[in-house]
Amino acid sequence: MNCEKYQDLLSDLIDGLLTPRDCEELEAHLSACPECTEAHGDLSAIVDYCHEHRGEYEAVPNEKAMWLRITNVIEAELGNRKAAAVPAGAGWWFRLTNRSWQLSFPQFASAIAATMVIAVVLTIGGMRLVGRAGAGATTAGLSLSTDVSSVQDRYRQQQQIIDYWNKRVELNKARWNPDMRDTFERNLNVIDAAVNDSMDRLQKDPHDEVSEDILNAALNDKIALLKEFAEL
Amino acid sequence: MIFSPPAHIVRRLTPAVLVVILLTAATYAQKSVSRHYPAGKNVRLELKNLSGTITVETWNRDEIKITALMDAPSVQFNPRMTDAGLVIDIVGDNRGRNDVGDVNFKVQLPARSSVDLETRRGQINVSNIQGDLVRAHVWTSGDIQLYGINASRVFASNSSGDIFYDGEFASGGTYEFKSGKGTITLQIPVDCGFRLVATAPAQRISMGKFWSPNMKTVGEGRRVIGDVGDGRASVTVTNYNGNINFVRR
Repeated sequence: MNCEKYQDLLSDLIDGLLTPRDCEELEAHLSACPECTEAHGDLSAIVDYCHEHRGEYEAVPNEKAMWLRITNVIEAELGNRKAAAVPAGAGWWFRLTNRSWQLSFPQFASAIAATMVIAVVLTIGGMRLVGRAGAGATTAGLSLSTDVSSVQDRYRQQQQIIDYWNKRVELNKARWNPDMRDTFERNLNVIDAAVNDSMDRLQKDPHDEVSEDILNAALNDKIALLKEFAEL
Repeated sequence: MIFSPPAHIVRRLTPAVLVVILLTAATYAQKSVSRHYPAGKNVRLELKNLSGTITVETWNRDEIKITALMDAPSVQFNPRMTDAGLVIDIVGDNRGRNDVGDVNFKVQLPARSSVDLETRRGQINVSNIQGDLVRAHVWTSGDIQLYGINASRVFASNSSGDIFYDGEFASGGTYEFKSGKGTITLQIPVDCGFRLVATAPAQRISMGKFWSPNMKTVGEGRRVIGDVGDGRASVTVTNYNGNINFVRR
């Protein structure tokens, strides 16, 4: 519980309406929190004063009229403050961001629906653009891009991730049992062989689509394997 | 010359030797744990093992039976029932330990179940699952054998080891098979319709009776792309260093 919640309970504490458990918890908090202790003191003083002077003040002749007057004064003051807060030369962005928004439920729901529609339209548009720019689709995890520089960039990025996880694995490897270590090494070699074969082919033919896909898939497999075993 | 110890020494040593033998046997004895869990017709089983064989079979009861045969008796084995089904995580339950050894699982569950199985090392066998999902993943070495499968999503992958699939390709379903080194064999009914992307850069792709005029090879036969029948299921097969075979069921 935070101070706000504790302060909500102060009135009940003074009136003796709290359960013993809540009472104990609140008192423990009061002993440690000067702010809440001060709030408790103020509220106790007000309640004590009211108790002491009960019957000494006259009832308000027209309660409703008085509350209306109070509400009018508060609203007028708030309006003045808002007007003063917006400088004369403020732009539309300042006015928009400093405006207080009060929406009904249908307005709120419509705003969310509109935001979702815009997000979906932008996502679909973006995906189409990316698809065109990359000159290929993704087929079940195998990217069919044919741009040579993007292949090299991706390889460099994947290699950096591999280096990171490799270090993590090396830290832990000594703790593994020898069988697991042996199995891991053997299977890492299988993936490395696929990486090397693809690299060799791409050296000869940089536009070899199959090798490019296998290289990408094998590097991703290597990352996944290292990541999995880094946690062992 | 034959040495024969005096009888009184033999008499004194025999109990000690017996105690040593019994202690050794107890140390190396496997522990077997069997548990039953209530299950609906389409429950989901999630099993993450470190090492060992996982065998999943179906039966006509609305319950799951797990039998775990453990090399190390001290292995932590804490299955949890969740809203979705049963979760067994040997990896998580034994994190930081290197004395876990093999845990061999035999699981019996209703045929309409989904199974998501994973092991760092070891074989995975699944038979007769008719649910939504069959996923079998071996992080390193281990064969995967899937028999009599009729699920709309099947994923089978290992780093090294054979993958054998015997089952249907349902219309609209997704099927992915991937191995680093081993043979991938897919045994399917002749009337199956699917869109295929099969890639085997180092070995051979054999389509058998499933070769159709709607297919083409790419990169000197290292990839086969195209439709078989109505092409409504999506099938992706990748083998870095091994054959891919399609066989009639």
